[in-house]
Amino acid sequence: MSVSNETLQAIIRDYNGFELSAEELELVRPEVDYYMEQLAILDDLDLSDAMSGRLLRMPAADESQARKEGGE
Amino acid sequence: MAGNELLSSTIAELAPRIRAGEVSPVELTEAALARAEELQPTLNTFITLLGDQAMAQAREEEAAIARGEFKGPLQGIPIGLKDNLATAGILTTLGARVLADYVPDEDAEVAIRCRTAGAVILGKENMEEFAAGATSNNPHFGPVRNPWGTEHIPGGSSGGGGANVAAEVTFASLGTDLGGSVRLPGSFCGVVGLKQTFGRVSQRGLLVTSFNGDHIGPMTRSVADSAILLQAIAGYDPLDPSTVPVPVPDYSAGLGRGVRGLRMGVPSNYYFEDLEPDVEEATHRAMAALEELGAISVPVELPAMKYIGAVRMAAMSDAIVTHEPFLRASRNDYGPDVLYRTLGGQFVLGHHYSKAMKAQRLIQEDYARVLQDVDFIVTPTTPLCAPRIEDPYVEHNGATHRVRGPGSSLVSRNTSPFNATGHPAITVPCGLNGAGLPIGLQFIAAGFREELLFQVAAAYEGVSPSQGRRPPVLQG
Repeated sequence: MSVSNETLQAIIRDYNGFELSAEELELVRPEVDYYMEQLAILDDLDLSDAMSGRLLRMPAADESQARKEGGE
Repeated sequence: MAGNELLSSTIAELAPRIRAGEVSPVELTEAALARAEELQPTLNTFITLLGDQAMAQAREEEAAIARGEFKGPLQGIPIGLKDNLATAGILTTLGARVLADYVPDEDAEVAIRCRTAGAVILGKENMEEFAAGATSNNPHFGPVRNPWGTEHIPGGSSGGGGANVAAEVTFASLGTDLGGSVRLPGSFCGVVGLKQTFGRVSQRGLLVTSFNGDHIGPMTRSVADSAILLQAIAGYDPLDPSTVPVPVPDYSAGLGRGVRGLRMGVPSNYYFEDLEPDVEEATHRAMAALEELGAISVPVELPAMKYIGAVRMAAMSDAIVTHEPFLRASRNDYGPDVLYRTLGGQFVLGHHYSKAMKAQRLIQEDYARVLQDVDFIVTPTTPLCAPRIEDPYVEHNGATHRVRGPGSSLVSRNTSPFNATGHPAITVPCGLNGAGLPIGLQFIAAGFREELLFQVAAAYEGVSPSQGRRPPVLQG
């Protein structure tokens, strides 16, 4: 996945961003590529159950101690 | 005792002698200033050295001790502050030309707490421009050099502090850690670096930073000294909403208790996947030493670490918001590494940021689960030892990686996750690589369990092959 220089320039223009010359866009490019790589990794992540739906149950103190003593 | 011998001591060793009047804070500060001036041309660790002010402070503390006013173990001890921590009436540049003349009206809360504890502020320390990187190769104030190899970076962004502590200029330095910036200089300079739990120490007066995951933490020459520093700076600050009103325990109480019976979590994914061979070997030796001390190794899985890159994606967006007013006013005064790395953040879309925050939550839950089953986690602090200052890239395990500027993330690979989770993490020296550069071992504990972290780190420190090793810059 990649974003073209034209798209980046359009974002800058339409959202009042920081102007970048063509040469400067190449200097920023590794950062943008990193962003896109990480975004692609997130593609397979189902976040619908994040936050409250995944809250963890804390084991009771005696349960935790028993597990440790059991050498698990 | 001669000045050089005094400078080789730790705070824990000196404090009772200062209290007893055997060691003079004035003589100690004179010796530290002389060492600072001697090494500044070599290491470039200070942006502002506070000679007269430090001496005046030392005289005040010495007089107070003579009157029987003992303030604690930091009294009369010369320390350094990173130059992004506000100091009233003292130049605070953040390593940036943009703020080269900035003099704050107020002290950072940590500076107030250190002064209240009697510490002598020796100077403001060199750093990465705006703390935005891991090299301390500053384009405006010059690169900080590593006392273990002056052609190598000290790590960053708090490189001046790490190098000063290693070179026995300061007894402790306060740095800031948004992705590893205390622990990386700790690891690369062979000293102890602590990033405590998010919310444990006030960030008020830490300038131009992200709201998401920055911490002020100490670099010291021993774990006991780290506990002393945290004791001085920890605690609720009603003017900093990020601090948490929980009691501050005695951080030195667990030192000496050892690790027998403690469960040591060893991640089976991510942290051991991309290591320099010397780092891998040193880490495994250290874990074996901990087992010999009685720790029980437990493999732990952290599946959500697959998504850790999302956190850096969010940080890009945080950075552009933080820098926006400075970029609008003074863009041409930025160095290229920080400028172009920061400008990349303007392209991160809002829903991607939100997705990254949810991924961060999943990662936090992984650690919450694991830290119910183990007492602490162990990892290498960094996947490699200090790169050379002149190298913008490193070859690492068959791939080319950027060390600084846009797209760089290798150096902070193992430290930045705990900025996202907020867990306390400490680095302790665990040996040298083949080139004589330090290697760090990182311990992580559950939130607000710093006393346990100190207990574990001190136990390992006692058997570490780094014990008693001093950097070549001190060996003439």
